[in-house]
Amino acid sequence: MKLSQDVLLGLFFTVVGAVSALIATHYPFGTSSRMGPGYFPIIVSSLLVVTGLLVLLRARLASSEPLPVIGWKPLVIVPAAIVIFGLVIEPLGLPLAVLLLTILSATTSVKFRLDWRAFAGSLVFAAFCSVLFVELLGLPVPIVGNWLQAVGSY
Amino acid sequence: MDIFSGLILGFSTATTASNFLYCFLGVLLGTAVGVLPGLGPIATISMLLPFTFGLPVDTALIMLAGIFYGSQYGGSTTAILMNLPGEASSVVTTLDGHEMAKQGKAGRALAAAAIGSFFAGTVGTLFIAISAPLLASFALTFGPAEYFSLIVLGLITSMVLASGSLLTAFGMALLGIILGMIGTDINSGAARYTFGSPNLLDGLDFVVVATGIFGLGDVLANLENERGRVAGVAAVSSLFPTREDWGRMFAPILRGTGLGVLLGVLPGAGVLLASFSAYALEKKVSRRPEEFGKGAIEGVAAPEAANNAAAQTCFIPMLTLGLPGTATMALMIGALVVQGVQPGPEILSQQPALFWGLVVSMWLGNLMLLFLNLPLVGMWAKLISVPYHFLFPVICVFIAIGVYSINNNVFDVYLMALFGVLGYFFKKLGAEPAPLILAMILGPMAEEYLRRTLLISHGDATVFLTSPLSLGTLVVAGLLLLSIVSPRFRKVREEGLQEAD
Repeated sequence: MKLSQDVLLGLFFTVVGAVSALIATHYPFGTSSRMGPGYFPIIVSSLLVVTGLLVLLRARLASSEPLPVIGWKPLVIVPAAIVIFGLVIEPLGLPLAVLLLTILSATTSVKFRLDWRAFAGSLVFAAFCSVLFVELLGLPVPIVGNWLQAVGSY
Repeated sequence: MDIFSGLILGFSTATTASNFLYCFLGVLLGTAVGVLPGLGPIATISMLLPFTFGLPVDTALIMLAGIFYGSQYGGSTTAILMNLPGEASSVVTTLDGHEMAKQGKAGRALAAAAIGSFFAGTVGTLFIAISAPLLASFALTFGPAEYFSLIVLGLITSMVLASGSLLTAFGMALLGIILGMIGTDINSGAARYTFGSPNLLDGLDFVVVATGIFGLGDVLANLENERGRVAGVAAVSSLFPTREDWGRMFAPILRGTGLGVLLGVLPGAGVLLASFSAYALEKKVSRRPEEFGKGAIEGVAAPEAANNAAAQTCFIPMLTLGLPGTATMALMIGALVVQGVQPGPEILSQQPALFWGLVVSMWLGNLMLLFLNLPLVGMWAKLISVPYHFLFPVICVFIAIGVYSINNNVFDVYLMALFGVLGYFFKKLGAEPAPLILAMILGPMAEEYLRRTLLISHGDATVFLTSPLSLGTLVVAGLLLLSIVSPRFRKVREEGLQEAD
């Protein structure tokens, strides 16, 4: 079977449904008049498995759209940049986290050049975000993260 | 409380200096973000959500509603000037709107959209003011069986209206229900699908998932065809419709408004169905159907009126039943829950100032849109032409901060990144995420109502068929499902929704 849209989607539905049905068997099922926490999940997960199998069947019977080309570079770098933002926002503070996220995500663009103008722009944007979100909107995000504070106290 | 005193209460709430200001701010920011290509209302609302934190509940809700209209309207501006629909419902606007823009009539197309929207918004608001109190008192008599059937109807409508195959949409809805079950089961207190993580005990935050799939997912998809993006923004000339334009737009606006008001109330249908059917209707009744698709002003005015009327009336199921009709409304419920408000039939009796303030500010918001958008259209056109490589890092930062600020928890940021990747793959696999989003919020409600129904009936499921209202709702849902089998409807659905892709 060639990898097509339907094959991947069918596999995804079937696997997610099967795993969640398996997990749900550990929850008390109850009876129809007293549904336990496992009742609804088992029904929904089983339906998802059936749907997944039907999608797979459809992939066999009719030719589905071939899998489009995946642009791996942005798909890896942008989510990674967001995870890094999450990792550093509390230790390093908002301005540095914004600066990192801006520059890292921008590298995925075909038009990206790291010159002084791009860097200055990101600096201004990081400062702008800090003023807007922390000073004006009062979000409880540190400007200077706890690692930097620790370094500063030495 | 009768409607008149309600409206007076609403005016006194909506016109306090701060509420008025935040309504204006919401409309302005919503339009500014909404005009940016590739940002639909869901991404716009989730990006701007942090701006409403820390505000009192009524102010926050008013501002959110302003953001919602602003983003809707901003989307139409981009559709007309750039031929880039921000969301499925503005696809029809591109057909004739952009055609008009190419002929140098961009200003008149924008004016037709604005005037149509304003008129429809006014009628829609009046409709809410009259019908919502009636429906809310009616809804108080609904039992769990009726609620369950309404949820089923909403889910089925959203599946029928999703682009792509019905089977795929069904799978997406089931997936959404499973995602909605993550967290502590309200009835038994059992932790379900938490994988031992304390971060998942409260469940997935709906706003986080929606932001990931729609906000980040769209960024990832857009980055792929970066080179293919042409930033051709049509120039805006005279904004004033000619006498002939007025004549041609009058009846279509009326018809579009009527359709939109009615279709907006239908759970799951929302604005998409309204704008498509308004366009189809105009094409059918027009004396010059051959002009459609070549810059007919009717083809802009009617769907825009329908779009906006439905955008108003889709608040009705949300405010009176607590059931969101569209993915955007589901996000609004998510935002309200963050504010500590649980929408439902009680909202009208318990917080009349909140309800009526919102109704009046909807109308004020529409008025502001009319006066804001036409004079500022030059500025919006400049915003649209900001190149994407400047735009997307800014979008990433805003959604990351927005998601973090909901619970001040970095776990949500990681989740958002994960759902962004998932959203990208859903797009690649031809699976529309709207049913998933709606099911995620409706799923847990469905479980709870099913549990209560079966508890009362001692496990007898025929109760869904013996209650007339529940039976009627299920029959409508069944007819909708059947209609998709009919080749004629199938053809219309495929044509309409194919263009939405």
